Amino acid sequence: MTAPTPEVLALLEATLDAVVIMDDRGRIESFNTSAEVMFGYRAADAIGRNVNMLMPASERGQHDDLGHYLAGGEARALGRGRDVRVQHRDGSEFSVFLSVGRIPDASPPKSVGFFHDTSLRQKALATLDKERQVNRLYLDLAQVMLVATDRHGVVQLANQRAIRVLKRDHTTIVNSHWLDSCVAPEDRPVARVAFRNLLVSGNDEPQQFEYHVRSSDGDDRFVTWRGVALRDASNVATGVMLSGEDITDQRRAESEAHRALERMNSVARLATMGEMAAGISHELNQPLAAIANYAQACVRFLRMPAPDLPEISGALEQIASQALRAGEIIRRIRSLVRNEDVRRESQDINELIREVHGLLASDARVHDGKLALDLTVPLPSVTVDGVQIQQVLMNLVHNAFEAQGPEHDGAPFEVRIATRVTDAGDVEVSVSDLGPGLAGEAEQKIFEPFFTTKASGTGLGLAISRSIIKAHDARLGYRANQPRGACFYFVLPAHQGASP
Amino acid sequence: MKDLPQTVFVVDDDDAVRDSLRMLLKSAGVHAETSASAQEFLSRYDASQPGCLVLDVRMPGMSGLEMQHELNLRGVTMPVIFITGHGDIPMAVEAMQQGAFDFLQKPFRDQELLDRVQRALVRDAENRARLRHTDRIRERLASLSPREREVLDLVTQGKANKMVAGDLGVSQRTVEIHRAHVMQKMEAGSLAELVRMMMAVAPSP
Repeated sequence: MTAPTPEVLALLEATLDAVVIMDDRGRIESFNTSAEVMFGYRAADAIGRNVNMLMPASERGQHDDLGHYLAGGEARALGRGRDVRVQHRDGSEFSVFLSVGRIPDASPPKSVGFFHDTSLRQKALATLDKERQVNRLYLDLAQVMLVATDRHGVVQLANQRAIRVLKRDHTTIVNSHWLDSCVAPEDRPVARVAFRNLLVSGNDEPQQFEYHVRSSDGDDRFVTWRGVALRDASNVATGVMLSGEDITDQRRAESEAHRALERMNSVARLATMGEMAAGISHELNQPLAAIANYAQACVRFLRMPAPDLPEISGALEQIASQALRAGEIIRRIRSLVRNEDVRRESQDINELIREVHGLLASDARVHDGKLALDLTVPLPSVTVDGVQIQQVLMNLVHNAFEAQGPEHDGAPFEVRIATRVTDAGDVEVSVSDLGPGLAGEAEQKIFEPFFTTKASGTGLGLAISRSIIKAHDARLGYRANQPRGACFYFVLPAHQGASP
Repeated sequence: MKDLPQTVFVVDDDDAVRDSLRMLLKSAGVHAETSASAQEFLSRYDASQPGCLVLDVRMPGMSGLEMQHELNLRGVTMPVIFITGHGDIPMAVEAMQQGAFDFLQKPFRDQELLDRVQRALVRDAENRARLRHTDRIRERLASLSPREREVLDLVTQGKANKMVAGDLGVSQRTVEIHRAHVMQKMEAGSLAELVRMMMAVAPSP
């Protein structure tokens, strides 16, 4: 027997298959390292023994046992292979895929057997399969929509969640273009650009975009997609993994909440208006009554033989100015009830207070009270929505007059609006009264919606006032007034760089 | 006794409303005086001035209703016309219950106001005339002697001279003399007229 060349030796040692060379009677002549590992015999122990020792005992001696099969050198086995059961030295059985080759020009004839451990392969296959199933389970259990596409956007995979949201058959999603199956037509141009950017950006940060999805039954869903490009070893994009969150319900809840808040706001506004309607109608009636009186007096004067022209001319001037007064009142009421967007402008708080003074004074009159202004001049300007701040003031003043109760001791009930500059240079606005003030539970809950101490109150006025002030980055607060009564105040940040 | 000229007293805190009322009344030939508050009016009003009041229900300080109450306390019988705005109907009802003459919702037609003012002035004149009449009767009653007063009371109860004489323990002739003095002092032309006079001054039931 000639010694194997170094190349053959290297080959024998490198392969993971067990390689066994045997003579025509099945006697082992060579047993490589993989064979030692696979069967548990050292080569020295195996060489010279019959190859049948590698078979399970139960199968030895049978007609087509391994010995016959191998040693028989049966031509029919050449170039093919078959699964056979073999036995480890420790007695455990396992399957191998066996292929046999004849060594040419050997005398006596020799053959070589390659034992390929299929049980390992099967185990690996089983593991892989299991992993796939687990992955699939993960995908399907995920509460987000998962869609993987190739680099052209053709869907390779879609999880159960995606299928449910899209209300489509799995087969109509896979192999479709994701734009067609996952994005509503009107959003497709934008989505196409976003997809392309994802591929070319080279940036592996997930990109976020939000689109409509139109499901197969025409239901519009809002989905936030996060996309990340999948890249191969040379950083070439091979596809995209998209995860989508169905935020439709959240969106609807948000807009429902928003609408509810708006409704509440307008209800509160109407309620405030209702409470003040008596004062406003009185206020508006005054100029109207005066106009009617003057005009009717003019008619009577003009019918006289010698009309008193100076008296008539004075009355006509009065008519004009009273009509303007009525218009001004209406303008103010309109500005209170309109539902416009917030418009912040640089404003002088004192000016805003003076603007509503007329309406507030009429409220004071209704309550048989007095409204005092204690304004610090000059004040730094503040950036506010004037109408909203006026609404808050009207609410606070109205509450203050309502707080007096019926048993005031002769002296006019006074409500005071004061402005001052704080130590920090900001503008404090306060509305104080000499009523009973707040005690215990009322002080705790006064800002809570629907909490009211008034018999016919909605309990919304202060809550809304507070939210308006909060929207101005300020806080509506309460403190006891000296010597008695309640004081509501808020501090508005002064304009940056504005000097008093 | 000659009557003073009738005046419409307008009390309203709103300058324009007050002035326009004055002018409207003037255009109808009615003399008006204006006050900006109840206090101002009360401080300068003299109960002998005839006329009527036009009052705004809502005023700072003393409201129209409070002022009406004050007038009642002071025995001022001048008719009061209230002027109210929309939504003041409950107040107007209360005012009427307290004896207001009438009320008007503003804005109003001139004729509505002038008609009410005219009726109020007539009512005031009647009240004052009635008062003057009863004052005179009381003066005459005061001039009677005690015996004459006794005779008067008995004859106005419908008793004949003979019964009066019996009640008082005097002669029928003496009663006739007292009765003649009573008729003369009371300036009564008949027993019926005397009875009416006594009813006019009788305390209200």
